[in-house]
Amino acid sequence: MTHDAMIDEWYPVGLFSQLDTNARKTALMGRPIEVAVEAEGHARVTSGDGRSLPVCVRYGHVWSSLGKPQKDLFAIPEADQPGRTLVDVGVIRVRCSPLRAVENFLDIAHFPFVHTDILGAEPHTEVQDYKVEVRQDADEVWATQVKFYQPQAAKSASGGITTEYMYRVPAPTCCVLYKTCPPRPGEWDVITLFVQPLAEDLCDVWPWMALFDDATPMTDLIHFQQTIFLQDRSILENQIPRLLPLDPGMEIPTRADLTSVAYRRWLKRHNYTYGAQLVAQ
Amino acid sequence: MTILGDLDALSFVPWIRRHAAKLGLSQAISHTSSQRIELEVAGPVDLIDMMELGCSLGPFDVWVETIHRTPVDGGGDQVRDRPS
Amino acid sequence: MPARTPVGPIALWRSQSGRAAASADRCPHRGMRLSHGFVRGEALSCIYHGWSYARAGNCLRIPAHPGLAPPETIRVPTHEVEECDGVIWVAVGEATAQPPRLQGVVPLRSLTAHAAVAAIEAAAGAKAGVDGFAWQPQSKLQIRLLLVPQGAEETLIHVLLDDDSSLSQRIAASRAVETLRRTAEDLETKATAP
Ligand code: FES
Ligand SMILES: [Fe+2]
Repeated sequence: MTHDAMIDEWYPVGLFSQLDTNARKTALMGRPIEVAVEAEGHARVTSGDGRSLPVCVRYGHVWSSLGKPQKDLFAIPEADQPGRTLVDVGVIRVRCSPLRAVENFLDIAHFPFVHTDILGAEPHTEVQDYKVEVRQDADEVWATQVKFYQPQAAKSASGGITTEYMYRVPAPTCCVLYKTCPPRPGEWDVITLFVQPLAEDLCDVWPWMALFDDATPMTDLIHFQQTIFLQDRSILENQIPRLLPLDPGMEIPTRADLTSVAYRRWLKRHNYTYGAQLVAQ
Repeated sequence: MTILGDLDALSFVPWIRRHAAKLGLSQAISHTSSQRIELEVAGPVDLIDMMELGCSLGPFDVWVETIHRTPVDGGGDQVRDRPS
Repeated sequence: MPARTPVGPIALWRSQSGRAAASADRCPHRGMRLSHGFVRGEALSCIYHGWSYARAGNCLRIPAHPGLAPPETIRVPTHEVEECDGVIWVAVGEATAQPPRLQGVVPLRSLTAHAAVAAIEAAAGAKAGVDGFAWQPQSKLQIRLLLVPQGAEETLIHVLLDDDSSLSQRIAASRAVETLRRTAEDLETKATAP
């Protein structure tokens, strides 16, 4: 384990569909990079010093790394399931730690206060116990049996329902959310949060979705998700400290924060500390 | 409550005391070593859950592997083992 | 609303019954700024997960666990607040005295200068005490200024005026203070220029 354990991970650096031969100038973990898609359709990522970086294209995005990824990008089998609408939501820049953006995505207790009348509403604020584990085979954090009352769980939902969720953290700055799918009982809608760490306290968030919803226009799906993330941004940019504390000495986690604690423990275990605060203050 | 892991840090015991105080829980630490800390905590079960959760993360130089809980006579606690 | 004091940012709020209160601007749960919160009755709630706090700082409710009565020990640090003569005073640490009385004046406006207190004092040719200072930029215009440092480089200026001032006097005072601010900012730039 080295200090920069996160350096060898894959990170999203752009939407494949929006790239062309004109390089998109962006950054990865404090270093300038350029991302382009060449005429023959290959994605190319170059570091500021002219080095060609590892590349893969998956889930609508171009992924890259400053180091040497030891594994392929994590799998999302549902992405290839027929009948799903794949939604490239776009990018939202947030002035916070990339790890904070993931932690917030794992949190349901804020729904009634931050996404009022959409993902939650008072007085339905109680967070029932749910299960959290680190799946050893894949080395991922999973939270299951997460249930929450929602006035409008999805664009395709009308009226309030109790929605069930599963959360999965397959990489330090990525999270996959599975959520009951109103038009198709038995299936799960997939909503992901891919976070590009620009710096320890600045990130580009790339939500992406694979839904069973052929009724709602694409622009409405994108809008719905953007509205949600803009609400989250107003929180994320106003949390103290800006980095994610791995020592909760200045905080008071409760059972509702079980996923957050499991995520932070997992980060700590792997020495994934880019964007983390190590000593509480 | 028994905390197991790599606990070889002087910072942990005061950290535990501070966290318990913040939660309004009384605590008595009966054993400390580099792999095991034993303490008795008294208070409402929700707050003891919060205590366990906080300790499972702890200060950065400590790694908590597991926390076991066993009810003590007269305590309102219930067993809730959470292997990690 | 957020406010800054020499010991850090605070959340300043007024309860439904009208009483002012001040707490640290950091929720003890997971660090959200409490100045973004909302007031319901006599409590301030955090906008993130809705934990609510009394004026005395103790946590009253954790919505995710409605059955739990939060212990007295879960609390946000607070500051003593006094409201008199239209001005809200916040004590930093233990208050040793009542805030100064400012009789016969009413608050006009507050503005931020990108200059230290010393530069404003120099521009006005006066020295501020606990009750600020009286400043007379022109005859028949008597202004009281309260200066609050906001970090090392900024100062919040509260402007108070005789309570029988006419509209034109209030406009003149407002302009005069803006000029004062510009002068102080120029002084500050000159002082810090290499
Ligand atoms: S951070 Fe304030 S309630 Fe959670
Ligand atoms: Fe959210």
